[in-house]
Amino acid sequence: MDSFVKLKACLGIVLLCIFNHAGSAQSTRPAMRFEEVGAKAGVRVQHHTRSFPGRTGDVLRMFTSGGAAVAVGDYDNDGFDDIFVTDSEAGKPNHLFHNNGDFTFTDVAVKAGVAGGNDPLSIVSDALWFDYDNDGKPDLLIARFGTPILYHNEGNGKFKDVTASSGLNKFGNTIAVIAFDYDNDGYLDLLFGNYFKPVNLLDLKDPRVLPNDLDNATNGGGVTLWHNTGKGTFQEVTEKAGLGKITGWTLDIGHGDLNNDGLQDFYIACDYGTDHVFLNNGDGTFREVTEKATGWDTKKGMNADIADYDNDGWLDIYVTNITDEYMKECNMLWHNNGDGTFTDVSRETGTCDTGWGWAAKFADLDNDGWLDLFVVNGLRSAGPESYVPLILPVITTPGLDITDPNNWPPIGNRSWSGYQKKRLFHNLGNGAFKEISAEAGVDNQLDGRGIGVADFDNDGRLDLVQTNANQPLLLYHNVTAHAGNWIELKLTGVKSNRDAIGARVTLQTSSGTQIREVDGGNGYAGQSMRRIHFGLGSATKIDRLEIRWPSGHVESVTVPINRISTVEEGRGIVSR
Amino acid sequence: MMKNFLSCICAMVLSISLPGGSTAASDADYQQAMRALTTNDYSSALRYLESAMTQDPDNLKYASEYRQAAIRSKDFDRSVAFFEKLAASRPQSANIHLNFGFAYVDKIPTAGSITQVILANKALNEFSRAVELDPNWINYYTRGASYLFWPKIFNRAPLGVADLEKALKIQSTGPRRSYYVKVYVSLGDGYWKTDQLDKALEIWRLGLKQFPGNQQLKFRLEHKGAELQDTIESSFDPNKRVDTDLRELWIAS
Repeated sequence: MDSFVKLKACLGIVLLCIFNHAGSAQSTRPAMRFEEVGAKAGVRVQHHTRSFPGRTGDVLRMFTSGGAAVAVGDYDNDGFDDIFVTDSEAGKPNHLFHNNGDFTFTDVAVKAGVAGGNDPLSIVSDALWFDYDNDGKPDLLIARFGTPILYHNEGNGKFKDVTASSGLNKFGNTIAVIAFDYDNDGYLDLLFGNYFKPVNLLDLKDPRVLPNDLDNATNGGGVTLWHNTGKGTFQEVTEKAGLGKITGWTLDIGHGDLNNDGLQDFYIACDYGTDHVFLNNGDGTFREVTEKATGWDTKKGMNADIADYDNDGWLDIYVTNITDEYMKECNMLWHNNGDGTFTDVSRETGTCDTGWGWAAKFADLDNDGWLDLFVVNGLRSAGPESYVPLILPVITTPGLDITDPNNWPPIGNRSWSGYQKKRLFHNLGNGAFKEISAEAGVDNQLDGRGIGVADFDNDGRLDLVQTNANQPLLLYHNVTAHAGNWIELKLTGVKSNRDAIGARVTLQTSSGTQIREVDGGNGYAGQSMRRIHFGLGSATKIDRLEIRWPSGHVESVTVPINRISTVEEGRGIVSR
Repeated sequence: MMKNFLSCICAMVLSISLPGGSTAASDADYQQAMRALTTNDYSSALRYLESAMTQDPDNLKYASEYRQAAIRSKDFDRSVAFFEKLAASRPQSANIHLNFGFAYVDKIPTAGSITQVILANKALNEFSRAVELDPNWINYYTRGASYLFWPKIFNRAPLGVADLEKALKIQSTGPRRSYYVKVYVSLGDGYWKTDQLDKALEIWRLGLKQFPGNQQLKFRLEHKGAELQDTIESSFDPNKRVDTDLRELWIAS
């Protein structure tokens, strides 16, 4: 054998070893697995969409077919996250599921005084836990097509309706609400996303309330920003903050520090037209940067979740739209380029098509150090006939007033983008995702709306709650066999807002660097647990863990792995 | 007798499809427009071409060049508005309706998903008017292909197949033209979309026999299952620009 042949043989062996190693790394990556335990856990409740009277009731019901929301929060501070679930039909109660600590739950909504809200002229649409008075007890906001309801957590398992004294008295057709401290004064403010313009759909004087254009609608409800005064009241500052010109059909809002300047920015996902990106000026106002950041779009934005999916230190944004046989919008995974611009990489990453998308949440479901993505979808699963062909004349008849529900045919028992399989995208860590919903056991076909991600049994593996419009709730217990190491952090602000919403945590291990931010309700119709969760993969040591609090204070802490730790601003690790 | 009749039809079709009847004035405007395009002066080019078309409304070459210039300068609304006006002034011109339809098609990739449906429907109306006025090869082919862009749920593919079969019949009676290959591709796609895979394969094979080496036909015949589906569906993606340049009609062999 001459030396050239020997060299080739050696190279071949080396290459073979490299490929084998890569292959084994792939094959040992833990597969995700979930078990649906809603009934066993005692949370299998049915959501009901609001019914409307009269000939156009059918159409209005369809246009308001959201309202199935979930908010996760530990309202009694017992260390186990609880679940609040909304209903939307008149007289139907909301549910507050107290976590018993053994993956069973008890509905205590009536006892706690938070079951109401679906009165004859209001429709419950979303919910949010946030500690507006920094007393350490999560309070509850119920968003409605109507005026919101603010419940103060009395600390004894009961809540008190303080709406009247809070100043939150403005009517709106709110479908999304987030809490964040936009001016870093230590108190959580509220940003409401409103779908219809502010007219009461249950008492319509003029029926012409539907979108005036299905790609560029300008007659929606926009957003309203409420400043927390710190004295138990809120003041509307929408105009003052520079947000008064938005007239889109808001479906979701996601916040985060998009340009790494320490201030909370946000993304508005709008149905029937363009989304918006706003950066925080740091003086109580925002500037719109949509044109430069993402460009204007004409899609049907449903969801805005914000996270750093590629671990490059910049927050990215995932927006669901409508992709079906008859409409090819494609979702948007806005990769943050770090220079004020974003590039849609949904096609390249394999996350473009999720049907008629609704909520989507990033979460490291196998603790491998890379954020996966769960997406729910489906508008209306009913009879075998489709409503879509009936819409064609509505869309194409010249001069037809599409804002008038009388001009839309009744939907009857027809389906519309129904029976769609949910999508779970496993982050492969190389810029691509792999769809694994079937093998993970989450490929249900219900009409999904909201997602709540939380570690309900404190085992370090994130579980999922899925709400469904007019259908029962699903609770997925994460039973992934070989999940990686993890840490969870409960952050408590002192100078910052007590919920630490907006705090950024940077974690460094031998595998690389990850960032997380505490968010105040990002993602359509779903608030996830407030605790920060990091998957560490096989890493057993944390090289650096740094918290940048909303106040600007930065501190490094040392925490044990595979544990939940509580960190108080300025004090480091404290006992729970 | 029948053969003679068909030959007549074919000759008529060709005479209508090809540019002709241009006046010295309209041709001078056309030449000015072409010069303006060499310096990317779209504003002048569009103005000269509008002038040329006003003088010679049936001229396919002017109309096609105009639309291509409008695409490059993103003047889609101007193009639609111009053809709308021209069609109103010459309602019996099939060529104007054909190009009016194409003006809508040209705008589709720039529009939102619902507006795309509205534009496609408007285009279809114009293509139908063109067929009514002049049931020739280009009009049948264009309307037939346009039906195939509609999602299956609207059940318009069978109408597309019917039109494309008519186009095939027309082209089979005259001299072979290079652009006739489009009908083989589209008709096969139409059969595929109507779940007639055997007929699709048959027409693609027939097409390849007529046009050996055609890549679109070869690809369709060499692939099946998901790959074939992806290829066909991708060719009907409303977000991709459809080539509506008609110059092949007068420069092709």
